[in-house]
Amino acid sequence: MNRHAVFWRAALLALPLAVFGVFVVWPLLDSFYYSFTDWNGFDPRYRFVGLENFARIVTDRLFTNATVNTVIWMVLALLLPTLGGLALALLLDSRAVRGANVFKSIFYLPICLSAVVVGQIWIWIYQPDWGLLNTFIEAVTGRPETFAWLAKPQSALYSVIVAWSWQQMGLSMVIFLAGLTAVPADLTEAAAIEGANRWQKTWYVVLPMLRPATVVVVALSVINSLKGFDILYIMTAGGPFHSSDTLAMFMYNESFKKYRMGYGSAISVILFLLTLAIIFFYFRQLRKLDEIHG
Amino acid sequence: MVVFVCLCVLALLFLAPTLGVILSSLKSTREIAFGALWTLPGGLYLENFREVLAHPSVKTYFANTFLVTVPATAGSIGLGILAGYVFSKLPFRGSELLFLVIVSGMFFPPQIVLIPLFRMFSGLGLLDTLWPMIIVHVAMGIPICTLLMRNFFATVPNALREAAIVEGANEWQVLTRVALPISLPALAVLATLQFTWIWNDFLWPLIFTQSDEKRTIMLGIVSLKGQYSVAWGIQGALSLVASLPTLIVFLFFQRYFIKGMTMGAIKG
Repeated sequence: MNRHAVFWRAALLALPLAVFGVFVVWPLLDSFYYSFTDWNGFDPRYRFVGLENFARIVTDRLFTNATVNTVIWMVLALLLPTLGGLALALLLDSRAVRGANVFKSIFYLPICLSAVVVGQIWIWIYQPDWGLLNTFIEAVTGRPETFAWLAKPQSALYSVIVAWSWQQMGLSMVIFLAGLTAVPADLTEAAAIEGANRWQKTWYVVLPMLRPATVVVVALSVINSLKGFDILYIMTAGGPFHSSDTLAMFMYNESFKKYRMGYGSAISVILFLLTLAIIFFYFRQLRKLDEIHG
Repeated sequence: MVVFVCLCVLALLFLAPTLGVILSSLKSTREIAFGALWTLPGGLYLENFREVLAHPSVKTYFANTFLVTVPATAGSIGLGILAGYVFSKLPFRGSELLFLVIVSGMFFPPQIVLIPLFRMFSGLGLLDTLWPMIIVHVAMGIPICTLLMRNFFATVPNALREAAIVEGANEWQVLTRVALPISLPALAVLATLQFTWIWNDFLWPLIFTQSDEKRTIMLGIVSLKGQYSVAWGIQGALSLVASLPTLIVFLFFQRYFIKGMTMGAIKG
């Protein structure tokens, strides 16, 4: 039985582990390797430059800029879809809502659209002359409005984050809804009997029960915000004047636009370490929750 | 009632962007040029869709995207089934750690392996073919597929497996004849998720393809945008046509889609 099990484990795991090892783990280690070189992307020869790339990163103002933008993105992408998703989930959870499933589908639909299409849609919304946003502002204020949301350094990043949040909100909503089904009905009923109103019930009974779901949503938002690339590429490509550069965008531009693959590898190593730290923190939080909830 | 009205308003706000695209795709460039992108179209105008569907490049993009999406979806699910079965039914010392390492793969931004993969496929002479995209999507899909399959196989009673083993079946037979037939819901979940993600992908074709003949649809519509720079209606039609397969999948398999997203997120 034992030798039989050993054989089957090896036989069944061989292919998945080989593919994962060759095309995920190995490239990851390779990134570390290239981060110590000055490879330019096409020349077969390259030099080892030690820690030069990392030394340059520390003083590179574009890197600092991309890091600050990534943090802004992370914080806002954490707040907007999380709070929005929570609000939607709480609204939908009131059991008596008619057509709850239709609403759910509507809020969830953007998730299945590609970043390219979402970006396209929002480029139109932000279009200065006839975009939906400026048209709306004109209708409300009665004054002509031609602000170019995506072409101005002070608004480009935030405009993209709003578009991104529109797409991500449905995901947070679904996870919160799953968390809400775990709230026992007799708890809220008991609170109602004790004289709690709707807000008190939500604040004191429901929200504390949503802590596990919140940890998941928060972790996903943070992790996903490090992946924010496609939609940025479509909407602003990091511009104008690098005002919407994130680390992922910066890494792409340095490597595939300027052909500084060594330098790009160093950026990706930093991106990797950052993600690793977040994942580590996430798993620790999950374990703590498991201990509390059994 | 208040809640219902709130939801209706929010739903309208949420739908407005998508509706805008649908409306504009049904208008002529002339009509839009007169400042009517966000209003109802004057009549049913399908010329944009005719133009898009007749475009030879669009056909190529569609064919390429199918040729990448279908094998990559099947491949990643296949590998996920194999690994998920071992992690759930044949655990060993250290298998929990190995499982964690694999699953954590889905959290990392693809940027961290961009350069080495580019170099690898360039060395293999596979740049500007569909192969790198298929291979990379299979590999990147292993974490989520392994995770969901392990969780699903965990719900298959061990007694079923043991009974089959006692009757002389080997693990492969248990997997294919006992575990898989009752795992169809999990397979549907994975198929919808993987299909949507791979179909919508933009980054890998951007890195791995150069010529128009090898582009997939999402990269393709971005490059076609230049051709139709002020033809907003055609751009709208392009976006809709490109999203159609995933929208259809979403409409029919929404239940599975949502289940997959929450399962992947919560058990992750």
